[in-house]
Amino acid sequence: MKKLGIIKSWVEEGSKILFLGCGSGEIIKSLQSSNKIKGFGIDIDEIKVCDAISSGLSVIQGDINNDLTDYPKKSFDYVIAHDIIQIMTKPDVTIRQILELSNKVVISFPNFAYIRIRLGILFSGRMPKTRILPYEWYDTPNIHLFTIKDFRDFCQKEKIKIVDEHYTGFNKKSVPRFLLPNLFSEFSYFLLSK
Amino acid sequence: MKNIKENKFNKFSDADSVGIVKTNYFSFANPPDELILFSGIKFGPITVAYETYGTLNKDKSNAILIFHALSGDAHAAGYNSPDDNKPGWWDIMIGPGKPFDTSKYFVICSNIIGGCKGSTGPSSINPKTGKPYGLSFPVIFIKDMIIPPKKLLDYLGINKLFCAAGGSIGGMQLLQWLVTYPELTEGAMIIATSPTHTAQAIAFNSVGRYAIIKDPNWNNGNYYGGEKPDEGLSIARMIGHITYLSEESMHQKFGRKVINEKSPQTGIVDFTKEFEVENYLQYQGESFIKRFDANSYLYITKAIDDFDITDGFENLSDALKDIKAKCFVISFTSDWLYPKEQLMKIVKALKINGIETTYTNFESHYGHDAFLIDDKRLKKLFAGFLKSLEEQI
Repeated sequence: MKKLGIIKSWVEEGSKILFLGCGSGEIIKSLQSSNKIKGFGIDIDEIKVCDAISSGLSVIQGDINNDLTDYPKKSFDYVIAHDIIQIMTKPDVTIRQILELSNKVVISFPNFAYIRIRLGILFSGRMPKTRILPYEWYDTPNIHLFTIKDFRDFCQKEKIKIVDEHYTGFNKKSVPRFLLPNLFSEFSYFLLSK
Repeated sequence: MKNIKENKFNKFSDADSVGIVKTNYFSFANPPDELILFSGIKFGPITVAYETYGTLNKDKSNAILIFHALSGDAHAAGYNSPDDNKPGWWDIMIGPGKPFDTSKYFVICSNIIGGCKGSTGPSSINPKTGKPYGLSFPVIFIKDMIIPPKKLLDYLGINKLFCAAGGSIGGMQLLQWLVTYPELTEGAMIIATSPTHTAQAIAFNSVGRYAIIKDPNWNNGNYYGGEKPDEGLSIARMIGHITYLSEESMHQKFGRKVINEKSPQTGIVDFTKEFEVENYLQYQGESFIKRFDANSYLYITKAIDDFDITDGFENLSDALKDIKAKCFVISFTSDWLYPKEQLMKIVKALKINGIETTYTNFESHYGHDAFLIDDKRLKKLFAGFLKSLEEQI
């Protein structure tokens, strides 16, 4: 699992949170114990959802691409889309939908402009593979990879406010904002509001 | 013989069995205070057969109400006598250490009105005539079925349920329960059911009823004391039973296994007992007639067919808007009688209302009856939901 420390620092104690693609709920449990949150999850995988429910979590087996519009507007304090947006059929639609569901949204994603990825494609001439993007081109779930710059452009276009941001690079170490995060960070975290 | 006895004894003395249990009876709606049914008809007295397992705690906050399915009864767990071959119908789920853990919870199950397992139904004696009601028994709706359990809770002094659970028609009763008494239940387990009965499901029930009514012994429901419409009822059960299984489970269990070869020499063909699956269904039909009343089958299947939780509401989310319970909805991948789309409609409506909801389309090849199958993963799921309720309260 990618680092959750920054997410934990963003989330207020006792909040009501919807986790997209929560899997078996490790992330919910982690934030429950650190931030005393009230967590809800949605995931498409039956085995993982059953594991989550079996451990006492409130999780719905469903398709994020279709099911987010059922929730009433602003029914959560946060929606957390951790390492999932790039998997969505229509990431723009999903992002707009989750901004309706809560006042604050956390989106984290692998940065496709990371230097190792750039060098990988430059020197090998093949689809790059990294520690966090280890898939072959034909079996990757990541159908909409993008970069930090792409995401910033999108936020600007959609008038989404970036409340805070955080980057991690080699060895999961934080990358300071002045150090060209689009080049040197492997994974990024954004706290957004509308 | 001695060995068999000992084996049986071991079953109900197992650490996870509730052991020997007694069916209890409770009566209400005694004239002149008859119950006004949904149809407007005044009816009484009404007897309710029920069983309880575990101990009600001091503040009466650990009660779980179970709604049984079409052919179920109040006997949900344990054994009524040491000679019983089989335990109650949901013994896999109810007992010490089981999901409905009787060392923690007080589990209640009552037989539905219109049934034939101790609660007042068409085969009960009408005190006014001294004869069985037969077709003079009033039409019953799911809305009526939830009244006796409510009266039973009042009688037991319970005004809050820790949880309520029901599968199939039990799930319909549960939905109605949640709509009629939205404040009463902390957690609800809505299993393999439907918010409205579909045309396909009505069609199957209709053929079953037709088989009973066309049995010459049915005699307009007046068969008590004489020959019963066993043929009709067993055919109805055979049809019903097919809908509870899945193509895959039937294939695994029977395949195309032949038990009586055709005889090419004589040209004699057994039209009813060539394949093993035929034999199995006939066995199901024959064992059902020993324990079920044909008129009860007519009344209950009719109540199921009439069920539409959206009746009197704009739509499903309007119908479910007042529910306060945390809901656990479960469908089964191979259930084609109440497929996942029906359960997902319930989930959607609950979500729209901001009601805390858990849902999974559970992977099982056992068809509609999957909730009655002993499955470790399913038990863990049930236990997990109950655990989440405990943490919430």
